[in-house]
Amino acid sequence: RVSSDGKPPKFQPPPKPVIIDRKTQKEERRFLSPEFIPPRGRTDPLKYYIERKDMIQRRKVFNIPEFYVGYVLAVTTADPYASDKSKRFVGICIQRGGKGLGATFVLRNVIEDQGVEMCYELYSPRIQAIEVLKLEKRLDENLMYLRDALPEYSTFDVNMKPVPRMDHEEIPLNKLQVRMKPKPWSKRWERPKYNIKGIKFELPEHKMKAAQKWSQPWLEFDMLREYDTSKIEAKIRKELSEELEK
Amino acid sequence: MMPIWTKSGEKRPVTLLKVQDCHVLRYVSKEESGGKTAKLLVGGKNVSPFSKPESAHEIFKEAGVPRKQKVTTFNVTDDAIIKPGTPLYAAHFRPGQFVDVTAKTIGKGFQGVMKRWGFKGQPASHGQTKTHRRPGAISTNKAAKVYRGKKMPGKMGNIYRTSFGLKVWRINTKHDIIYVNGSVPGHTNCLVKVRDSKLPTYKDCNKNPPFPTFFADGDEELPEDLFDAEMFQFTDPSVTFA
Repeated sequence: RVSSDGKPPKFQPPPKPVIIDRKTQKEERRFLSPEFIPPRGRTDPLKYYIERKDMIQRRKVFNIPEFYVGYVLAVTTADPYASDKSKRFVGICIQRGGKGLGATFVLRNVIEDQGVEMCYELYSPRIQAIEVLKLEKRLDENLMYLRDALPEYSTFDVNMKPVPRMDHEEIPLNKLQVRMKPKPWSKRWERPKYNIKGIKFELPEHKMKAAQKWSQPWLEFDMLREYDTSKIEAKIRKELSEELEK
Repeated sequence: MMPIWTKSGEKRPVTLLKVQDCHVLRYVSKEESGGKTAKLLVGGKNVSPFSKPESAHEIFKEAGVPRKQKVTTFNVTDDAIIKPGTPLYAAHFRPGQFVDVTAKTIGKGFQGVMKRWGFKGQPASHGQTKTHRRPGAISTNKAAKVYRGKKMPGKMGNIYRTSFGLKVWRINTKHDIIYVNGSVPGHTNCLVKVRDSKLPTYKDCNKNPPFPTFFADGDEELPEDLFDAEMFQFTDPSVTFA
């Protein structure tokens, strides 16, 4: 360094080491399945506690993998009318709904030019296996617009092999913008209430501007709609980690 | 309400009922009540004693029990009499029994004839003048009067109704919860009366229930959860069809 007066430069103590606790950071980011978070309401929390005990019990016996909307899953269910007594369905998860034991997820696939959607219950005893074939998050939490998109975006090979994953940390985000079939669609996806980022809208400008007429910009500032789940989530995470280790 | 699955993989909706601080309050003999059987007064759910006058506390003081929100009567045979002051638990019922559940339905206030009685109303267009949800005719010409009990608009709900023949699937003895098949009248967290079913089909369904009731200080040690034979327990592996 250039000294100021010819004197030796003032002693600069080295910067204090910043300790990044990787372990606590990892625990904060761990996935909590959305059906564990109780909805807002006046029900006795004892009911959710009892339901969670059953859910944890089922998870101990049967492994429900962590998955988001956009993953490609293969589900084997027991079927009394099939020849092998079991049925396998491969599809992309387009929606996860329900809370508690009745939580469901919808898988979509196009088989022989016919779009098929199967709604499965996560905790149903008929499900024998859930395998994650492709881990890929999408831009939206609800991919119902795939019904009105070109079929190539919903087709997945039924005998697809699970895609091998390198990292154990990052889940890749697919910023794919999907091309749609010509209108009419089942829902008006260009409207701001659906807040869809994963469609490449090829509509004229005036139509996109007209759709913004239905925007409700005051909704995000509405305090009565706020539902802060951070404390509830922390409690449930602790409960889950304790129970699953037993 | 929550779902429950049978051993064959079918889903059934189930209502959870909690037995909260139930005590027997008084025994009324057959002659005293003037009915066909003796009666037992039972109270549920503790509530603060300060909102009612002292005269209302007599029954509770005799039994030695805090003031209860609701007091109901049960008709009992002479061999099922219980001493006033005994607590009643969910283990009084066993899985596989059939029960009737009585409660006050959700109050809907003053309602019109279409919602209250299910009338069809009138068409929305084709010339109807200011008449879309009205009852229309209320009697005939020959009758020259309106009969008593004619279905008309009025206060709907907030009356006692019973669901009959509901199966008990599971009992949680630790938290005193009864899992009852199907839906039950009343809103969430409302007070409900659970009674052995009086339907003739389920007359002989109770195989060895705890009689006269389940006593917590007795010798019987019950497991935390009692399940019905047909119910799928989550400790079992997934259902397969052979």
